[in-house]
Amino acid sequence: MRLSPAPVEFHHFEALGTSCSLFGVGVSRTQLLQGEFWVRELGTRITRFSEGSELVALNRAKGKWIAVSAEMEALLREAMRAFELSAGLVNAAVLPSMIAIGYTRPLVEGVTTAATKEARPAPSLADVLQIETGRAKLESGCGLDLGGIAKGWMADRLAAQLGPNALANLGGDLRAVGPGPSSEGWPVGFGGATVMLRDQGAATSSVRRRRWGELHHLIDPRTGLPSDSGLQEVSVVAATGCDAEVVAKTALLLGPGLATAYCAAHAAAWWLS
Amino acid sequence: MRAFLLKLGATVLTLGTTVASAAYVTAHLKNASAPLQPTVLASQQVGPVGGLTMTPGVRQGDVPPVTSTYAS
Repeated sequence: MRLSPAPVEFHHFEALGTSCSLFGVGVSRTQLLQGEFWVRELGTRITRFSEGSELVALNRAKGKWIAVSAEMEALLREAMRAFELSAGLVNAAVLPSMIAIGYTRPLVEGVTTAATKEARPAPSLADVLQIETGRAKLESGCGLDLGGIAKGWMADRLAAQLGPNALANLGGDLRAVGPGPSSEGWPVGFGGATVMLRDQGAATSSVRRRRWGELHHLIDPRTGLPSDSGLQEVSVVAATGCDAEVVAKTALLLGPGLATAYCAAHAAAWWLS
Repeated sequence: MRAFLLKLGATVLTLGTTVASAAYVTAHLKNASAPLQPTVLASQQVGPVGGLTMTPGVRQGDVPPVTSTYAS
């Protein structure tokens, strides 16, 4: 006999340039609003589009050590972990390539002229980024874009902050904690089906969105150009939202020949298109 | 004289072994075009593009989803 589901409090909002949704059982409306505030406040510090952000300060530090907040330090360490987990394919140091293809400002403001001939393979993140407690250094001439890593990382933390039974979805990068409304997990749409996630994350990486003309935002660090791997979209369920984001992006960049094997080693479920 | 014969014998034996080994290897070249073993071949095949794969760690549900993962 299935128990009647517990009431779910939810809240939708726009932030990080995308749609965000928070859900919780036994969570107050105030907690959800505090969650939105946390996303907005941290988002302004880690965006590459805001002059006053910590990330812009790091990108412009010209090889000097600068102080970073605890959240920024953790996020940079997560970017380094993603680089290692993906064997270098998820590389936050692709910013120069993103600028070269015209992704210089939020896409709602439009792209600028692309200069793909200026795109170069991204440097190894491990070679150009140094992180110590409370400070970081990026080699001169390099730039970081934390993109999807930040959304997955934030979804992981936000879901845990909301309580023992909650779900945070930040632009498709999501994390579910606890048993969900019916003690069977949180029902999440995934690859045309519904999967019940419990203490798991999910993410989708795609070249179908954020694209203009022949270009799109998903850079292959091996070439410095938009990915042309043969895969259009990959969705993944993994232990956390950030892991799911890293595995999905890595699989998409690997292409159809290797994506299945990589997902089988790192994911709990996957959908390739 | 005896030492010379020993040296000569060792030299002939060494050269003979070398020639015989080369002849054997040449006659038993590994076929580079031979098919890989099925398990190895399977790991290199293109995956089920367009398909959904779930391990036992994920359970499919029959209730409407509260949200979904998507590209943004």
